[in-house]
Amino acid sequence: MKVGYYPGCSLHSSAQEMGESFWDLMRPLGVEAIELEDWNCCGSSPAHSTHHGWALNLAMRNLLLAEEQSLKELLVMCPSCFVRLREAARQVQSDPEKGEQVSKALGRPYGGSVRLKFFLEMLRDVGTEQMRSLLKKPLKGIKGALYYGCLLSRPEWITGFDVGPYESFLENLFRTLGGEVAHWGYGRQCCGAHLGITKPGLVSSLVDRIREHARRAGANCIVVFCPLCQVNLEMRGRKEPALPVLYITELLGLAAELPRTTRWLGRHLVDPRPVLREARLL
Amino acid sequence: MAAEFLEEVSRRSGQRFEGCYHCLSCGGGCPVVEAMDYNPNQIIRMVQRGMREEVLGSKAIWVCVGCFSCLSQCPNRVHIPAMMDTLREMALEAGVRVAEPEILAFHRAFLGEVRRWGRVYELGLVLKYKLSTGKFFEDFSVGFKMMAKGRLQLLPSRIKGEEQIKRIMNGTRRLR
Repeated sequence: MKVGYYPGCSLHSSAQEMGESFWDLMRPLGVEAIELEDWNCCGSSPAHSTHHGWALNLAMRNLLLAEEQSLKELLVMCPSCFVRLREAARQVQSDPEKGEQVSKALGRPYGGSVRLKFFLEMLRDVGTEQMRSLLKKPLKGIKGALYYGCLLSRPEWITGFDVGPYESFLENLFRTLGGEVAHWGYGRQCCGAHLGITKPGLVSSLVDRIREHARRAGANCIVVFCPLCQVNLEMRGRKEPALPVLYITELLGLAAELPRTTRWLGRHLVDPRPVLREARLL
Repeated sequence: MAAEFLEEVSRRSGQRFEGCYHCLSCGGGCPVVEAMDYNPNQIIRMVQRGMREEVLGSKAIWVCVGCFSCLSQCPNRVHIPAMMDTLREMALEAGVRVAEPEILAFHRAFLGEVRRWGRVYELGLVLKYKLSTGKFFEDFSVGFKMMAKGRLQLLPSRIKGEEQIKRIMNGTRRLR
């Protein structure tokens, strides 16, 4: 089945390595994906922070496009985009007034036929067995602190994920790859989100605390699922020595020995290659 | 007057605030509370008391990043992030002096990119934000490193449905 792919703005720029590594994984996993044509920004925090109409209509334009392009499923890569798109769809489906607003702004009503799917759900559907079949190089020697951030499961009634089972699934996925899970209590602490640009001092103190706890748990890297968490965790922090911050998709790509791996590993601000070399993965 | 403000915030955010009994769970779990002038529960109390000017002129409403940590810890599920969205929108409508001009400058630069290209052109966003706040040299080296590593797209990409985006975003100029 063909599924639509909604990368979101970061994946075309600062989070290219997340997009590339996931894109390269889809074929071996038997998923045929096509990028949603002419997609636009979901509006992210700035839209919902200032004007509910912009947030609603920017998000809904993508769902209308998916419907127009006969895509039954739309894979979303960024947790923030996912929450924004889901929230807009929920509003339209539960409030006829919001539906009216969307048809007026975008020229036609939303039929509600598109299923929004977060990329991790796809990995869950693929299942452990098939995941194992891709494994060429188990991630032995990688002890990762899994950093879920804020919006991966919150709010649960929008994402549809139960925090506990969801986090166990991610831990199991990481173990399936051969990695060791570092036990820590900071996986759900906010990275500071967009304050990373406007309040660097505050965000540095948040990042320092996250790094300190990851290190204390014995981790040699932080594993992330969100482009904004990734940038903040690499770019901010002052006191604590930096830890490499890798996307789960990069680690999957590394374990599956995908050809473009070295290219995206070279783009990090905190070079992960020394840790990977030490684990004999490069 | 007090009832009017409370009623408006309540209607627009879809929230009822009577449930709040000031247990302080929201502020306790808030990652950015130290940069706020009032704790989230204090904002609720001020809304109930009709303190329109103080609330709309506060730092707290802009510092909130919407991480939903307060909401998952609130025993009565008061949707504080939805309340904050409404309060920011009301502050902009009322034209009050925004207590966190840099955060507003960021939102403005971001939405300007969306309005112009349909997507966020990150390099343009950063430059616009830096120019509008005069903080041009802050983060110069990290920005340079990101460029050198090819982590910032050098040229923007424009979508075809720009007319639709302009129609949606009509009034972005109001943020100026």
